[in-house]
Amino acid sequence: MSPQKDPPSGVDDFPHSPWSKTLLCGFAPVRLNPQPLDRVTVPPWRSRRISEEYYNMSLAAEAFVSQMAAAEPWPENATLYQPLKDDQILLSDHASSLAVQAYLRMCGLPVQVVCRANAEYMSPSGKIPFIHVGNQVVSELGPIVQFTKAKGHTLSDSLDDVQRAEMKAYMELVYNMLLTAELYVQWCDDATAAEISRPRYSTPYSWPLGKILAYQKQWEVRRKMNAIGWGGKSLEQVYEDVSQCCQALSQRLGTQPYFFNKQATELDALVFGHLFTILTTRLTSTELAERVKSYSNLLSFCRRIEQTYFEDKGS
Amino acid sequence: MAAAMELRCWGGDWGLPSVHTDSLVVLAYAKFSGTKLTVSPVDWTWKTLTASVPELVCGESVVQEPTQILNFLRKQRLNADYELTARQGADTMAYIALLEEKLRPALLHTFWVDAENYSNLTRPWFASRSPFPLNFFLPSRLANTALARILVTKGEGLLHRISEVEGKIYSDAKECLNLLSYRLGTANYFFDNSPTSLDAFVFGFLAPLHKADLTSSPLQSHLRQLDNLTRFCDNILAAHFNADKPCPLPPAMETMDANLQKLTQLVNKESNLIEKMDDNLRSSPQHKPHRPDPKSSLSSSKSSTPA
Repeated sequence: MSPQKDPPSGVDDFPHSPWSKTLLCGFAPVRLNPQPLDRVTVPPWRSRRISEEYYNMSLAAEAFVSQMAAAEPWPENATLYQPLKDDQILLSDHASSLAVQAYLRMCGLPVQVVCRANAEYMSPSGKIPFIHVGNQVVSELGPIVQFTKAKGHTLSDSLDDVQRAEMKAYMELVYNMLLTAELYVQWCDDATAAEISRPRYSTPYSWPLGKILAYQKQWEVRRKMNAIGWGGKSLEQVYEDVSQCCQALSQRLGTQPYFFNKQATELDALVFGHLFTILTTRLTSTELAERVKSYSNLLSFCRRIEQTYFEDKGS
Repeated sequence: MAAAMELRCWGGDWGLPSVHTDSLVVLAYAKFSGTKLTVSPVDWTWKTLTASVPELVCGESVVQEPTQILNFLRKQRLNADYELTARQGADTMAYIALLEEKLRPALLHTFWVDAENYSNLTRPWFASRSPFPLNFFLPSRLANTALARILVTKGEGLLHRISEVEGKIYSDAKECLNLLSYRLGTANYFFDNSPTSLDAFVFGFLAPLHKADLTSSPLQSHLRQLDNLTRFCDNILAAHFNADKPCPLPPAMETMDANLQKLTQLVNKESNLIEKMDDNLRSSPQHKPHRPDPKSSLSSSKSSTPA
């Protein structure tokens, strides 16, 4: 199979020979090549189209990686890494980790949870949790959902476009409000930071390294809060935002078992991870948990997911 | 309720009442809720440096930030969301969060960080509307704030280079635009037939992108393909801001846009089809292992891509 010399414009480079059955990576601009696209919609040819506008090493590499991911089934020895559970892990990290664990359980994918003190530094993006599957490492819920989708396990297949838009919007609401509020309460509130966050963050390290790293992390989080405009908020305002977010989630959930009626999706996993962690973590004040508890359908939602997916966990 | 309300915001251009996203949100909401506002643009005053824009002054109280201003107006019984159900109110919050997280970084990048747009459009505009000597350093200050915000929120801690983050924020923004387009469908506004705060937010984010004269913007061309969103912006401009010159698209361009729209839909359908085929192939009983060709075809096609 060889490319035609000087093909006329609008015609693909391989007009006469049959296309081989390998993976083709096309980098054509979307609007100019309907003809070759028509030809590859017929099996057994498959193609992945990557837009030229954002031809960017990381995007091409991502597409390539997901294709490689699709080649292997989910192994038995997949592991999820998070910081040490008793001493080190903080509220926001625990929430994210629990969300990923819930999602994987909902998909029916076995994963082993391993606690390591340096999990944050091992992670490719610096965020917890990350999973090690086969020979790939993926961190954070968003990329993990895409990764499992490439392997053929997905929970949001049956949603139509509008519902998928809603699901993504609500997930962003949780990231924007709940996760940010958790980070604020942990690191920007002086009492909590001094009593809980900094000591816990510095447990694996000896003095003075622990102190330095804890203060560095606090500075980083405060910088982020200032950048998004939460730096000037008072604790009371943050609790108010959490209440509003919970109210929105509660109204969306209504009396249904899951957010999209009968079927659990990644939104359910995310909401469960955050709410359950807020409810069960002891902080300097119980205000945050009280705000969540005032919405009874969210409480029963958390209990239901815990019973359905985590019942063999024990404690 | 009767106290006069004054809004300080950036001035307008390109057929818009204001070129600043947050100011536009407040202006649109004011129109939707029937608020009588005196608009005092901060252009050509020293307030460009000192004031945080937009700012609502009502009697003695000063409110900043669009969400706070909208809350304040709602408390004054100037409520455009009166008829929404509880669930629609929750949806509003969710979609606003989506806009903030996914679309704002890309908009900041398009206007303030992208070198061509910044030097050709944004900087001259803001510099020409600031008094001497502010015009020398105000635009660069705003640009640095924008860049810092993008890096702090989207940079992955260790990667403090904007180029690594660019691809991701633009793909997120395009996805966000697609989601908004699906949600809007063929309606005029997002909820029923009357505009609400969500419409104000979406208008504030999209209108500058739609109307500005950007030299290089893949995001703008993506937006222009989604004609229900462009129609949404134009409708609001025509209906509420009495634009004297609603930008008319020449008919030839409209048909071309229609073709592009059809192609986009075809391509989307085809991607879905390919994904379904993937699933079928994967679930077939004999899982044929890939030949080790992906690496070679990827590297060969990379070499043939235009630089």
